[in-house]
Amino acid sequence: MNVELTDVTRRFGRTQAVAGVTLETGAGVFGLLGPNGAGKTTLLRMMATVIPPNTGRLRLLGRDPGGYGPRREIRRRLGYLPQSLGYYPGFTVAEFVEYFALLKEIPPDRVPQSVATAIERVDLGSRAKAKLRTLSGGMLRRVGIAQAIVNEPELLLLDEPTAGLDPEQRVAFRALLRQLGERATVVVSTHLVEDVGAACSEVTLMDAGKIVFHGTPDELTARGQGPGAVGDAPMERGYSAVLTAARAGSGSASAVA
Amino acid sequence: MTSHSEMPGGRPGPGTGPCPPDVDLNRVWLGVAAEVWRRHPGPAERLAGRALRSPGLARALVATPSLLLGWVLASAVVLVAGILATLGTGTPFVALFAPAVAAAGIAYAYGPGIDPAWELSQSMAVSDRMVLLTRVLAVFALNAALGLAASAVSGTAAAVTFGWLIPMTAMSALALAAAVITRSASAGAAAGLAAWAITVLSVHSASGQLTAAVASPALILPYLAVAAACGTVAWFATRVPKGVS
Repeated sequence: MNVELTDVTRRFGRTQAVAGVTLETGAGVFGLLGPNGAGKTTLLRMMATVIPPNTGRLRLLGRDPGGYGPRREIRRRLGYLPQSLGYYPGFTVAEFVEYFALLKEIPPDRVPQSVATAIERVDLGSRAKAKLRTLSGGMLRRVGIAQAIVNEPELLLLDEPTAGLDPEQRVAFRALLRQLGERATVVVSTHLVEDVGAACSEVTLMDAGKIVFHGTPDELTARGQGPGAVGDAPMERGYSAVLTAARAGSGSASAVA
Repeated sequence: MTSHSEMPGGRPGPGTGPCPPDVDLNRVWLGVAAEVWRRHPGPAERLAGRALRSPGLARALVATPSLLLGWVLASAVVLVAGILATLGTGTPFVALFAPAVAAAGIAYAYGPGIDPAWELSQSMAVSDRMVLLTRVLAVFALNAALGLAASAVSGTAAAVTFGWLIPMTAMSALALAAAVITRSASAGAAAGLAAWAITVLSVHSASGQLTAAVASPALILPYLAVAAACGTVAWFATRVPKGVS
């Protein structure tokens, strides 16, 4: 298993952002769904080794990120796209991706090829020498994705990766996700249920810091069938039905598949 | 976005057109792109890479905002103004300017206030604490060198020439600690400049000498104590929390 979380919690002051999450996942594309404030970003930041859990056990790529050595090894094999990623406006696309390739300790002789491959995979080859300040929001998001995949990560964490992408780019991005998920663990936090349906093999739904559903996209869709369900698309109906049931106290535990 | 099996930018894939079918055009193109887009590190970065034994750390070092040419030139201009004031009045203004210039440079060397990709930097294999240490030492060394050169040019007495090095250490540590805690480089620089101005003026009002803040041996221990305390605060504030795992 590339990701193993056991009863992980994280608190910010009085706010319990993550409240006892247990999760295991191997290779594949893993969708993390939930409303605003559900704890998705905090969970992703813990998996990215940016913040540690307050309690619980976290193992990534078979290692404990609590120690310096294992954490460094995890980070070499990790790709992370934060929800809001700032950019160095004076850098070109290639320079930005190269900067993080070097910080991920890719051997210097492999860096140019890795940078070129990552830039081409997000279809930014024609803008590789463009300054970041000249790019649109969608292009900047793709630059962020390029830096995340430049080291061919075994664990790829993407927080709202399709924000700002147009429909054509989103379709292409889902294809890229499926390709990456063939050999890596890809965790995608998103509000967009259709991204999960199209790209993910597993989906977890969070609410109030807890997991209220874990299963396949088809199983989530099945939760929405029947009278009284709301929503526009089948999976959105499942999403709403699971959240409604969890909030009504019909058991977050029982809702977990 | 493109997959590995197709050519980017609509270029023909392997086996199409006049190209022999056993040539992987995708691989060829990526090799060409890698060479065309390759950035060639300058001498300073190559030297730093060898010295630090880390190309990533060297790249982070040369990207330090307060080591960029514009910032260094601005620092030099301030010190040149100090030289001119020293030569014109006989008061060693260089010794009074140098700690302030260094404090501002240190505040803008590292941290969330100046790094737009700070969150991402914290997930990198090259430790952000190593980046902090390397950048702070480099900025301090550069400012010390500039200050010493300016002092030499202005013909300041030896006691005053070296007297500002210890207060410069204290003000730099204070600016760093403030920048890290407030997550704002501007706040750090303001704290360093304000603290130095208060120190100079209060010592001046007590002793009647404008240069007493850099020339008085009685202040060495307090400066060292401030430097140690602020350095500890900065180190503590940038630690990776252990958490439980």
